[in-house]
Amino acid sequence: MNMIPHELAIGGVFLPPLLVAFTLGAIAAILTAHLLNRIRLSRYFFYPPLVVLALVIIYTVLLGTFVVRI
Amino acid sequence: MTLSTTAKEAIKTALAMTLAYGITLSLGWENPYWAGFSVAFISLATSGQSIYKGAMRMLGTMMAGAVSLAIIALAPQNRWLSMVLLSAWMGFCTYMTWGEKHPFFWAYSGYVCAVVTMAAGLDPVNAFNTAVLRSQETGLGILVYSLVAILLWPINSRPAFEAAGAKLASTQQQLLKTSLEWMAGQRNPETAQQLRTQEIQEQNQFGQLLAAAATDSYEIRELQNQWRLYQRQVGQLSEAMERWRENLAGEQSLDMPSLMPNLSGFADELDSRLTQIGCMLANQEPGQHPSAVDPEIDEARFRHLSHFQKAALTAIRVQLRRIESLTRSLFHSACYIKGFCPAAPELGDKPPVIKEFGLPDPDRMAGVVRVMLIMWIAWLANIYIDSIPGGADGVAVASTFGLVIAGMPQVSVWLMFLPAFISTLLAGLIYILVMPQLSSFLGLGVLLFVVTFAIYYLLAAPRLNVAKLLAISMFMTVISVSNHQVYSFMVVYTVALMLLVVFIVLAVTAYFPLDLRPRQSFLRLLGRYFRSCEYLMDALSQDPQKRETRVVRLRKTFHMQEISSLPTKLGAWSKVLSKKALPGTSPEQITTVVTALQGLSYRMQQLIEDRGHPQAPFLVQELRSDVAAWRTKMTDAFGCLAGEPSVANQNRFHTELTGIMDHMNMRIEETVDKAAGHISDQDGENFYRLMSAYRGVSDALAVYVASAGAIDWAPWREERFY
Repeated sequence: MNMIPHELAIGGVFLPPLLVAFTLGAIAAILTAHLLNRIRLSRYFFYPPLVVLALVIIYTVLLGTFVVRI
Repeated sequence: MTLSTTAKEAIKTALAMTLAYGITLSLGWENPYWAGFSVAFISLATSGQSIYKGAMRMLGTMMAGAVSLAIIALAPQNRWLSMVLLSAWMGFCTYMTWGEKHPFFWAYSGYVCAVVTMAAGLDPVNAFNTAVLRSQETGLGILVYSLVAILLWPINSRPAFEAAGAKLASTQQQLLKTSLEWMAGQRNPETAQQLRTQEIQEQNQFGQLLAAAATDSYEIRELQNQWRLYQRQVGQLSEAMERWRENLAGEQSLDMPSLMPNLSGFADELDSRLTQIGCMLANQEPGQHPSAVDPEIDEARFRHLSHFQKAALTAIRVQLRRIESLTRSLFHSACYIKGFCPAAPELGDKPPVIKEFGLPDPDRMAGVVRVMLIMWIAWLANIYIDSIPGGADGVAVASTFGLVIAGMPQVSVWLMFLPAFISTLLAGLIYILVMPQLSSFLGLGVLLFVVTFAIYYLLAAPRLNVAKLLAISMFMTVISVSNHQVYSFMVVYTVALMLLVVFIVLAVTAYFPLDLRPRQSFLRLLGRYFRSCEYLMDALSQDPQKRETRVVRLRKTFHMQEISSLPTKLGAWSKVLSKKALPGTSPEQITTVVTALQGLSYRMQQLIEDRGHPQAPFLVQELRSDVAAWRTKMTDAFGCLAGEPSVANQNRFHTELTGIMDHMNMRIEETVDKAAGHISDQDGENFYRLMSAYRGVSDALAVYVASAGAIDWAPWREERFY
């Protein structure tokens, strides 16, 4: 398995994999927060903004490790 | 073909921009966009406004240059100390920017200092040159735009200023007339709230245009002290009318036309004065001068009123006398300014200046903390994250955005991100696809002219002002014009990523350390409002004739400022509350709550003022325990409301409050009967004014409790992500 960090090329422009993982992670976290808001699960969190921050980090790490491969 | 004003203004800005770039490039100066920024940011509706803002920008830039050089000299080779000093200065400038005096000066002093210090930090040897270059390019931009604004379709501020004055006088006249008709029982002032909002906006506009007209009109400058007196008097009249209306709202049971027989004549006289003021501001000679008029009370009918009604009527008469006196002063000021009266009115005492450093506004302090935090996060990211996009420039950009948003925490950071990001992408397309085709300044000049014109023409509406400034700033930053022009996709890419990083930092500080979500902010401010009321009510137990310590005086002034400013802040937050997130709460209900708080503020201020007047010792002695019982009840109620926005059992609260007021009324009756013949007229008036103020606070609190009780506060407390 090739674990060497690789970049994404879009139209000849190379993007760092961390940027891609972060962007996807942020989108996934926002969608999750939206969903939790809609089904009113947000009320069980002490401070939801911290949860969003945590979700962004978790998704970025997961996507970076298993999908984008930082 | 006639060009519209928008097109003319856009052409002026575009021409000034092209000239500023042309001169900077021909002189071989680096960073010509600094001159471009000057042009872009001082382009305003009239030449006076532009010159005033330009002067503030120039002075602010010079101050920033001096401070940044001092920071570099004090902390050479020490980036931590340098950052401590810079963030302290930025914090100070942020606090001052959102105050009342010279906001533009302090804003430029802050963010230009960040730009120069960050730019010079990388190259300390040339720090002096950087600061000087920034100052001279700023000066060049101001000079070029000022000359263009003066020579090409000049728009003098004076006509706009005079029109604003006449409009303000007309609005005040309508408001006074509506309220007097309401007092006479003729109609309900449905339009009063709308007129009041209009009056506040027109007062702000009048103040801004006064500063501008004093810059570009000799006639206004010569009489600017008189104009400022007129402005102060207009503000005092506005506040006096507002307090009077608040009193009227609680006294609808009184038959005013029979209690005040000359009310109609009094109303006609005041209406005539304001009409004459409007005429004078339109350069017409006044048809008549003010005649002596006093709101008389029918003594026979007065004797048959209850003591609280007598108190209310006395308070209303005092307020009418104040309005009469202010309209007379206003008439004399306008008469002298317009040259119809020979004698200059007394400039009078300036309003007391409250020492700002002794009494920091908590919201402005929160803005200071936010800006300093933004700077430090951006700075630490710059140091510890390798090759972060933008580098030190990112710190300067983050600081600038931080300073702008510190005073308007209601505005969502992401609302600014979209125009900034789209502008960067569009500017990137021009930079990559168009600019490489240009080979001389002729082509570049045409491009600068066309793009600047398009931005200033298409985004001319006032509500698009932020988008306009972001678009032009991003355009100038991305195209990065210089005499040795290079084209690299990395420029666009770096700017776009830097923006992303900057906005992430800004967004983080909207949640940490202070939660700036609308619902939470609204509840927090509401709590602060009632804590201030509680303190002030508790402080009423002190003897008013006894000298207060400095600490007590400062605390009292602080809480007075809080109760006068918080309803406006709550009004601003109420506009951004999400309707979806608050089921069961309509915008009208929130407006009613904010209006009730504004009324309560006026009543509290009135009570504190009226309590300062001397009272007959006999009355004070007799009613001491009743007043203390009322005060304890109110202090407890405010204390509870500081924790919960509504009262748990409204009916019980109303019953208790009414019981206390009825008992007090009975005791007043007994005491006044006992004191008959032993108290002077002045003591009697002071006593009734104070009684009216006590009842006013009770009534205003009851109105708030009723309006807050109609809202379901449970969803407000439920945690949500947005």
